[in-house]
Amino acid sequence: MSETIVSFKHVSMQFPGVLANDDVSLDIHKGEVFALVGENGAGKSTLMKILYGLNEPTTGQVFVKGEEMKTFSPSTSIAHGIGMVHQHFMLVPSFTVAQNIVMCGEPRRHRFFYDFDKANQITNELVREYGLQVNPTDRVQDISVGLQQRVEILKALHHGADILILDEPTAVLTPQETDELFAVIRSIVREKQMSIIIITHKLYEVMEISDRVGVMRQGKLIDVCETKDVNERILASMMVGKDVLLDALERTEQARRQDSAIEVEDLYVTDTRGLPAVRGLSLQVHPGEILGIAGVEGNGQSELIEAITGMCPIQRGTVKIQGKSTKGLTPGKIRQLGLAHVPEDRIATGVAAPADVTDNLLVGKEKAPEFSVAKIHLKRRSIRAYARKLFEKFDIRGAGVDTPVGSLSGGNMQKVVVAREFSYDTPVLIISQPTRGVDIGAMDFIHKQIMDKRNAGCAILLVSADLDELYRLSDRLVAIYEGKITGEFDPKTIDKAELGYYMTGARKEAEA
Amino acid sequence: MNWESIFNVGLLQNTLRTATPVILAGLGCLMTEHVGIMNIGIDGMMIVGAFVAVLASYFLGSWLLALVFALLSGVLLGLFYGLFVVKFKSDEFIIGVALNIFAGALTVFLLRTIFNVKGAFSDPAIVPLPKLSADWLESIPLIGPLLNNNTLLVYVSWVMVLVCWLFIYRTPAGFWLRAAGEHPQSLRAAGKSPEKMKYLASVLCGAFSALAGAHLSLGYLTMFSENMSNSKGYVAVACVIFGRANPPLVFLAALLFGFIDALGTRLQSVGVDPTLTKIFPYVGTVLMMVLLAIRERAKKKAAQAAK
Amino acid sequence: MKSKAKVQYLVSLAVSVLLALVLGGVIMALTGHDPLEGYSALITGALGTKRGLGNTLAKTATLCLTGLATAVAAKAGIFNVGGEGQLYLGAIASAYVGAKLAGLSPWIGIPLCLLAAMAAGGVYAVVPAILKVKLKVSEVITTIMLNSAAIYFCSYLANGPLKTAEKGVSAGTDAIDKSFMFSKLIKMSSLTESIFIAAFIALFVWYLMSRTTIGYEMQLTGQNSRFARYSGIKSDKLAIGSMVLSGAICGLVGMFEVFGQHGRFIESVSKDFYFDGMLVAMIMHYKPFGIILMSFFFGILQIGSTAMESRVGISSELILIVQSIIIFFMAAEEGILASIQAQKIKRNSAARIAKEATEK
Repeated sequence: MSETIVSFKHVSMQFPGVLANDDVSLDIHKGEVFALVGENGAGKSTLMKILYGLNEPTTGQVFVKGEEMKTFSPSTSIAHGIGMVHQHFMLVPSFTVAQNIVMCGEPRRHRFFYDFDKANQITNELVREYGLQVNPTDRVQDISVGLQQRVEILKALHHGADILILDEPTAVLTPQETDELFAVIRSIVREKQMSIIIITHKLYEVMEISDRVGVMRQGKLIDVCETKDVNERILASMMVGKDVLLDALERTEQARRQDSAIEVEDLYVTDTRGLPAVRGLSLQVHPGEILGIAGVEGNGQSELIEAITGMCPIQRGTVKIQGKSTKGLTPGKIRQLGLAHVPEDRIATGVAAPADVTDNLLVGKEKAPEFSVAKIHLKRRSIRAYARKLFEKFDIRGAGVDTPVGSLSGGNMQKVVVAREFSYDTPVLIISQPTRGVDIGAMDFIHKQIMDKRNAGCAILLVSADLDELYRLSDRLVAIYEGKITGEFDPKTIDKAELGYYMTGARKEAEA
Repeated sequence: MNWESIFNVGLLQNTLRTATPVILAGLGCLMTEHVGIMNIGIDGMMIVGAFVAVLASYFLGSWLLALVFALLSGVLLGLFYGLFVVKFKSDEFIIGVALNIFAGALTVFLLRTIFNVKGAFSDPAIVPLPKLSADWLESIPLIGPLLNNNTLLVYVSWVMVLVCWLFIYRTPAGFWLRAAGEHPQSLRAAGKSPEKMKYLASVLCGAFSALAGAHLSLGYLTMFSENMSNSKGYVAVACVIFGRANPPLVFLAALLFGFIDALGTRLQSVGVDPTLTKIFPYVGTVLMMVLLAIRERAKKKAAQAAK
Repeated sequence: MKSKAKVQYLVSLAVSVLLALVLGGVIMALTGHDPLEGYSALITGALGTKRGLGNTLAKTATLCLTGLATAVAAKAGIFNVGGEGQLYLGAIASAYVGAKLAGLSPWIGIPLCLLAAMAAGGVYAVVPAILKVKLKVSEVITTIMLNSAAIYFCSYLANGPLKTAEKGVSAGTDAIDKSFMFSKLIKMSSLTESIFIAAFIALFVWYLMSRTTIGYEMQLTGQNSRFARYSGIKSDKLAIGSMVLSGAICGLVGMFEVFGQHGRFIESVSKDFYFDGMLVAMIMHYKPFGIILMSFFFGILQIGSTAMESRVGISSELILIVQSIIIFFMAAEEGILASIQAQKIKRNSAARIAKEATEK
């Protein structure tokens, strides 16, 4: 067996409310490419941030080259020869490529002054040595994402890294750029005996580049295998885990209807950085059905939902709710077409965290005659009674209707959002990640509420990273990959591994 | 109307006189601006510097020690400011406003307690800052009298503009400082603490502001008076926004505002009210911010259209 | 949970006030005064005489109105630092109208002056609000800059175009009609009938903020503007509206100074009144009821400090120092508590994980 270069021993990381790493022990060998896979929130990035010194583990030890890391800070990790290419690049936009590469190890002139020529020269030498082409004098803000990633890699190499962590490096790359990156990874492993740890969702990449692979789920390291001993199907099933046994939901038979309550046609949306996120997507949701969207996060689901609900602008294409176009409408106006929306990020969008439960349940109804006189004077008594009723109906636990929503647990906060959005009694529901970070009891409850809505004839669009949830609720499933729909399935007939195939782009690549 | 009585060397001298404390305070303010903190407590830092300088000069009889102690007070106030804004993450504006009130009250209180005077304190025992002059300069028309016979800190402020520019744009530490403001995570990931850079900027800000204060109380006047900073701290903030936190541009902005102010005072003789010109820096800054925001927006749109 | 946070806040507040008062006492002792004597002079000066009480109540009203003005804007997520300028413009506008309308019945004249003050303050506040909402320009900087601009502009007007020609008056605009003046409720004090208007405004603001749909939607906008947009609230309009209201109240405070004390606009119409009120509002977390109480406390401190100075010889500035110490503590409160909390969480979870590990 080859030499161990990094060793995690019983590492746990507790964030407020989340155990992100749960007793992880893992060895990385010298000169290997190690892939770390798992769904979002499985704890991969957290574990690697510990190695890079950005997180300090709550318990456990980390050894690098046989030496225990006593303090956790990037400077100690850099001194140990660890480099990290972050998912969100750690580059200063207004600085040049060279200035970013040599940051915190700047060459000097006359002791005090920054030697710009030397910095450019160093960069050029690195470019020659590793074959990663960049122009030292370009400003980072002006170059493409692919080039920015090269700058990040060169920065780590300049700091003397021989253990390189790549956090989802291909998420922002085009296929060609990905190929180039993999060629570089292979060459530095071969020629410099470097060790690479690569975090990814994309299973075919694991098969292509790695020597060994570790699978994480819910903070735990599930298994470590030699890549040659596994295939994508096995990895996919390890990633998503076993089925949780829940009672079947009561699903009433709905008459097949041809009219669509949600109609998306040839939609194009860009993300906040202006990069294309949804690329020519079309779908329809009929009354009385749940359409589930399955996809690995970051493949355009968030932007799709935001575009439908009016939270972000549409680049091209149309969205119709109940037959009416949403063009130019604010989120408030789109709601009036008959739509309610459970957003993916409840804290950022779904609630006003400092406000109490009552205030969060009332919003949107405050001007209704039951709750205000002349749309001005709040009828506090009936508002409280109403809040109490919903509070009980949705089984929200926690102190009471006066409690600030921000202090509720994730599950109860989510019940507040669901209770409010469902209370509008709209014919269309857009639901995104309804049970993320929610305990199993609350999850079951929310699922029942969603199913009740469906049985009552609502058209529901459901996005979830949880496949079990999609299987349990959906009447139809579509897989999304890189902003496009890669297939439509009947949840009764397609198995998870097969679906996972379409979600990770594997099938598409295979066909191509 | 006699234009020569308005536009003459005296006008430029007055410009310099009004501008110097603003230049120094502006250099301090731009340090914090680069790390992403808008420090509006500069007035307070200036007034403390002015007071400490007078105090030290009076008791120790030395302008040099006066400067040393003023600088020391500035460094302490900078640390104090940093403690709240960086460590406790308090609102920088509230701390700035509170610092101004605190400094104003403290100096008046101490003035009263130590010298038993109210309003202002002047005494022959206070040693002013030395004035530097060279005979050969005097012979050059216009420039000569302007460059000659200024107090020490006037020349120091010019040198400091250059030094600050070199520091921010030509040394590694200057790059760390800017990285701490623009993208602190990247500085942290590269192995340096952005918090430390923020502290450094706060301390430098305090030191420069205190020097500005010392120039107020030991420069042209040799006295301390209540509220003698007279909102110059806000003008310094205006200069930093106007000059986009670049030392030479901030310097020019301070000179511009100083010139307009001096002009206003002189135009009094032809019946123009001097307070009207005092409005200029403030309204100018607001307009500047609007312009920058509109330009930013246009740029973004163009970038999106390009994609 | 809510009550726990409330208790924590009240404890911090009490500790801050107490610590600041103790520090003030220490400074008194260090400068050779008896702290007890100092503070008792302060209390009797502020509350012991009719005149003192009148002045304290008048001060309370000013602090309270400016504090509520801050709170109205802050509730919708805008930090109005520009109240001082809005106050000046309100003062000069109402003084101008009050002088121009001389001879009119007070029943017509005074409401028009009120309107003028509110309009001047409100319009001036619209500018930074629109810049913030439409162009995302920091309202803090613009309001600070517009403060100075307004104050210099008013002093230009008072020394130039609007300078009074009246003999024996050295500065200020023309006097307003005598019949427009608010009469004093307590002789020799600064307490005037304007306190009733102030009380009405306070009540109105409290009602608006805590009992109406407008206040409710403003609150949600301030707490999470993305949530407000998501919920279909017209947050931009609310933000601008709240700023206008804030400016209008500041304008009224300026008018009360003119119509209650000076009878004309003078350059020293306000001495950072707005900033005092703003800080009161900030330490009370913009809660209307709390602002009223804290204004009374700060009113006592400020009025009492002059008595303390004349009777015991302690410089009244000491009280400003005490006030700013309270502000420092309260501004850092969350940061200090958070760092304590973070350490606690870390200790607890490390202990728990260790325990679980041994149980395994």
